Amino acid sequence: MVLVLALGDLHMPHRGSDLPLKFKSMLVPGKIQHIICTGNLCIKEVHDYLKTVCPDLHIAQGEYDEETRFPETKTLTIGQFKLGVCHGHQVIPWGDLDSLAMLQRQLDVDILVTGHTHQFTAYKHEAGVVINPGSATGSYSSITYDVNPSFVLMDIDGLRVVVYVYELIDGEVKVDKIDFKKTTDIKPLTH
Amino acid sequence: MVKKGVPDWLNSSLWSSPQPPSSNDVVESHEPPASADVKSAVVESIVEPPVPVPPPSVTRIVEPPSSSVHSSTASVKGEIRDPLSSHNGNNNYGNTNFNNYNSEEENGISNNSSTAPIPAVGANTGAVVAPAASSLAEDISSQAQLLQELSRKIINMGELRRIASQGIPDGAGIRSTVWKLLLGYLPPDRTLWSSELAKKRSQYNHFKEELLMYPSDITRKLEKSSLENSEPYGESKGFLSRSEITHGEHPLSLGKSSVWNMFFQDTEIIEQIDRDVKRTHPDMHFFSGDSTVAKSNQEALKNILIVFAKLNPGIRYVQGMNEILAPLFYVFKNDPSEENAVSAEADTFFCFVELLSGFRDNFVQQLDNSVVGIRATITRLSQLLKEHDEELWRHLEITTKVNPQFYAFRWITLLLTQEFNFADSLHIWDTLLSDPDGPQETLLRVCCAMLVIVRRRLLAGDFTSNLKLLQHYPSTNISHLLYVASKLRTHVAG
Repeated sequence: MVLVLALGDLHMPHRGSDLPLKFKSMLVPGKIQHIICTGNLCIKEVHDYLKTVCPDLHIAQGEYDEETRFPETKTLTIGQFKLGVCHGHQVIPWGDLDSLAMLQRQLDVDILVTGHTHQFTAYKHEAGVVINPGSATGSYSSITYDVNPSFVLMDIDGLRVVVYVYELIDGEVKVDKIDFKKTTDIKPLTH
Repeated sequence: MVKKGVPDWLNSSLWSSPQPPSSNDVVESHEPPASADVKSAVVESIVEPPVPVPPPSVTRIVEPPSSSVHSSTASVKGEIRDPLSSHNGNNNYGNTNFNNYNSEEENGISNNSSTAPIPAVGANTGAVVAPAASSLAEDISSQAQLLQELSRKIINMGELRRIASQGIPDGAGIRSTVWKLLLGYLPPDRTLWSSELAKKRSQYNHFKEELLMYPSDITRKLEKSSLENSEPYGESKGFLSRSEITHGEHPLSLGKSSVWNMFFQDTEIIEQIDRDVKRTHPDMHFFSGDSTVAKSNQEALKNILIVFAKLNPGIRYVQGMNEILAPLFYVFKNDPSEENAVSAEADTFFCFVELLSGFRDNFVQQLDNSVVGIRATITRLSQLLKEHDEELWRHLEITTKVNPQFYAFRWITLLLTQEFNFADSLHIWDTLLSDPDGPQETLLRVCCAMLVIVRRRLLAGDFTSNLKLLQHYPSTNISHLLYVASKLRTHVAG
């Protein structure tokens, strides 16, 4: 039972001053094992804050990040799942599901987490699942102003993932979940 | 049959055994008035010569009625031989005492040196051949008695307690069964055993299932019905549908009744339990190390403590409970009966609950200063010492100002498991559990006896040396310690 937090596009301090208080009160240290961040934090202080929530932090480079040495894409394995992170501004058209599917096949991951559109999506195709956690601060994007703060928490348990979607709608936190299973194990590497 | 009055045993602290009822010529040997009946009842079916340790001031030694070897020096050896010769047929028990001394006896070591290790007045070295031999003969007899008692249809608990209080032999899984009986886990009626055991074991497994579940599984159970409908891989392509969460349960929930929240709160306790379990008895392969056996034992200990903590939110887990749990689990797991060893975890859980029920108050912090708390218990120990040995009490408390809390806290809360080596503490627990007065009272008497036995060194020492001595209690002959403790009971009465 591994809890993985996926969030990004905070654009602090430029476009959003802080995470919503209700989100912050939920994100207490000790509960989450990994954080996957799609990028655009943008400053080091946000990086440090996320480190206090969970020390295992994976960030992909966003176009507005002040720290320039994050990787463009990153893959990691958690339990039976391979996860990939990419900010998403590199994938054109932005937010296009087929193009993201191409990226997913390229990275060979089961779950691809991307951002940039600031809209939550969870899409499934043959190669796997694409999740966009949206913007945790609700800041405007290159595409739209109408953004609800949102982030995603994944509960990885064997071959099953429960994705909890946290959205701040009209000042209230709304939580939904998505269940999905993987059909095959990761084949053990032979060496 | 001469029963001399009890001499000033406080100062001499000598070991002595009771006279057999038929023996006539008795010297001044120390005689435990009350326990003589006990012991003589035990030995009456066996011809056992008493083996008193001759104090330096005493010259004659009691003649065993059945043998004729009698010189003051060789008699010790001779007396040792005799019980063995009459029991040669029964010497197949896995009795460690027996094995230790067997070779000595059989080889007929002419060791006048066997008289040498007889403890000097007041000292308490452990290796005394003579009393050990008598205790080994008693072991054989008590083992036979125990087996006989246990094979009855309805076990006489009083009788069992009496025999058990002298020490339970290590072999044949007797200790496991006797402890279960003493702690009330097994009923005295043998016919009910299998049904009781099955019931309790399944109850424990039920607890485990319920309490050791992950929240994700719990929530899944809660929403069984809705899960049937959702088809995880229905279409190969498309947006994944979002569904409602049940009961507002999500991992970051801060609600008091939230399954997830409680899970995270318990995680702290679980971590502490884990740490303590890993530190339990690091010198024993049974508990510690990388072997699968040790790991599974640690896992079992953890499960028991976690289930206990969850079932008892008032007391949860306190450091030290793992130490009390360890001997129980060790004894039950090493039961030669396969069936019992496999269910050792369940049995240990219930016996642990029972044992702790008498000592719960020691672990509750709020009760520390109350009438039932640990401080009060320590005060009672102090009082007990004062009654029996005012001089020592005065020296400790007033002259050297050794606050009993400094040493007695660990003695009492951990039931002496940390003061002696493992085998010795099992022996002490035999007495603690079997005494009809109850473990609390007996524990205090044993602690008092511990103090009395080293009184010479304590009286001669100052604060530092006394504290050091009491916090690192020297190893002593356990039978002697328990004997002194039992004398404390009668002494007050008399």
